[in-house]
Amino acid sequence: MIQVTSVSKVFTRSGKSFEALRDVSFDVGTGRFVSLIGPSGCGKTTLLKMMAGLIKPTRGSISIGGEEVTGSGPDRALVFQNFVLLPWADVLTNTAFGLEARGVPKKTREQMARDQLERVGLGGFERNYPHELSGGMQQRVGIARALAVDPDTLLMDEPFGSLDAITRNVMQHDLLRLWQETATKTTVFVTHSMEEAALLSDRVVIMDTRPGRVAQLVDVPFPRPRDEGLSDSRDYLEFTGELSHQLEQMQRIDMARSADEDRDRGDDD
Amino acid sequence: MTDTEQRTDPPVSLDTAKPGVVSRIWEWLARYRVQVLGIVIGGVLWEIAGRAGISPALPPISAVLAAGGELWSSERFLDAAYTTATSILIALPPSLLVGVALGLLMGLFRPVEWIVRPYVNASLSLPLVAIIPIILLIFGLSQTTIVVVIILYVLPVVMVNTFAGVRSTDHDLVEMATSFNAGRWLTIRRIVIPSARGLTLAGIRIGVGRSISGGIVAEQVVGVLGVGGLVQRLGGAFAVEALYAVILFIGAVGVASLALINRVEQRYQIKEV
Repeated sequence: MIQVTSVSKVFTRSGKSFEALRDVSFDVGTGRFVSLIGPSGCGKTTLLKMMAGLIKPTRGSISIGGEEVTGSGPDRALVFQNFVLLPWADVLTNTAFGLEARGVPKKTREQMARDQLERVGLGGFERNYPHELSGGMQQRVGIARALAVDPDTLLMDEPFGSLDAITRNVMQHDLLRLWQETATKTTVFVTHSMEEAALLSDRVVIMDTRPGRVAQLVDVPFPRPRDEGLSDSRDYLEFTGELSHQLEQMQRIDMARSADEDRDRGDDD
Repeated sequence: MTDTEQRTDPPVSLDTAKPGVVSRIWEWLARYRVQVLGIVIGGVLWEIAGRAGISPALPPISAVLAAGGELWSSERFLDAAYTTATSILIALPPSLLVGVALGLLMGLFRPVEWIVRPYVNASLSLPLVAIIPIILLIFGLSQTTIVVVIILYVLPVVMVNTFAGVRSTDHDLVEMATSFNAGRWLTIRRIVIPSARGLTLAGIRIGVGRSISGGIVAEQVVGVLGVGGLVQRLGGAFAVEALYAVILFIGAVGVASLALINRVEQRYQIKEV
């Protein structure tokens, strides 16, 4: 279980401070899939990186399995929005990177990496380089790299955010299938898309901006195992429609507020 | 200049398995015809300008080549070239190895950067001729002086380039490595060194060029040794044609050594970004 307890984060840069998160609390049950969603600037990626141990909270704490997060750990693996593959290493070496970091001997880790590549549909691409692959395929490498270390917790930072709409759909459906096959991994998934969140998650944490905070926790009512047919069902369309509308409202309010602030700043000059 | 033109493979001759020397030269000329044309144009322009008698300091290339033909095979030239070449070959390996190593350390550890950087930056703008007398005072009129000058001249460029290469490492990649709990050494080996590779090689290329020019300038100041010493004597005797012949030779060596580096680089090509 991941417990986020009154987490706040203030960034300070050249004397100016910016409140990225204020008093954020929620739990993610073991083996659940939870999405963080909200307008840009709501601190969802910051929160995810805190769970990964890459950023420390200013106040509050995050604990995973009862232990407070103080740094990165072998129990977690991160999937990045912009893939972050080594451009000079082939697909196999990239996939095995997490295992290499753990000191797994070359032969073993390459076999494990091959297995994961097979699972994400990239068998036969072991010796290709990232720039030879499409964005979707690069992210499959990113996912295989994370799954290869067999983490208890999978952290995904808008993994499909930079892909085109069609690839995105395919990736969502493949991830749904892949995750349900693995089933036991606690997953936190940052996204902009309510459709994506509703399809994949058990629970959605809707966040708002200025400062970043939890606006609403919504349980997704659709039973598992799900398949891509879900996205055509009437219930699903109603559910995502309502929540997308809410998100849009938040975004509009945020835009209006930032316009006000800009005007205020203009008056000062 | 189109790339495809130059990359077209030479025609394969079916009747002879191994082409003879003459046909290989022809193939080479066909492949590099644009470059060869450039050299020919330069030579023709030089000849015209020389014959026009613009200045006694600009003899026609035919006269230079005639003087060169005599000079390049002479014992004093070969001795001088040998001396210069050995100075450079002694000085280069330590300059490049130490330069890359110090550049890496500067890039990886801030305190090293803070301590070393002022010296490196200062030495980059120091004119070579200013330091030669001091080295000369310490090591005397010997090859050691030349070797030390070359090292001091090459080291800083290799260092700053390697350093800049290390600092150009993509922060996202380092964060990725951290998220997977990668140790320092793995991060350096898999991420920092490959990131620094391009700029480091650029530094090495500049360094090799500098080793030639630095070595010759040092010899010239010292005045008795190597190709630089020869340049000094020829200049003093107003032997303009022979002087140009030496300059042509130095230029040719520069071109050849950079071509050699490129060859080595391609041979050990790690996949580029």
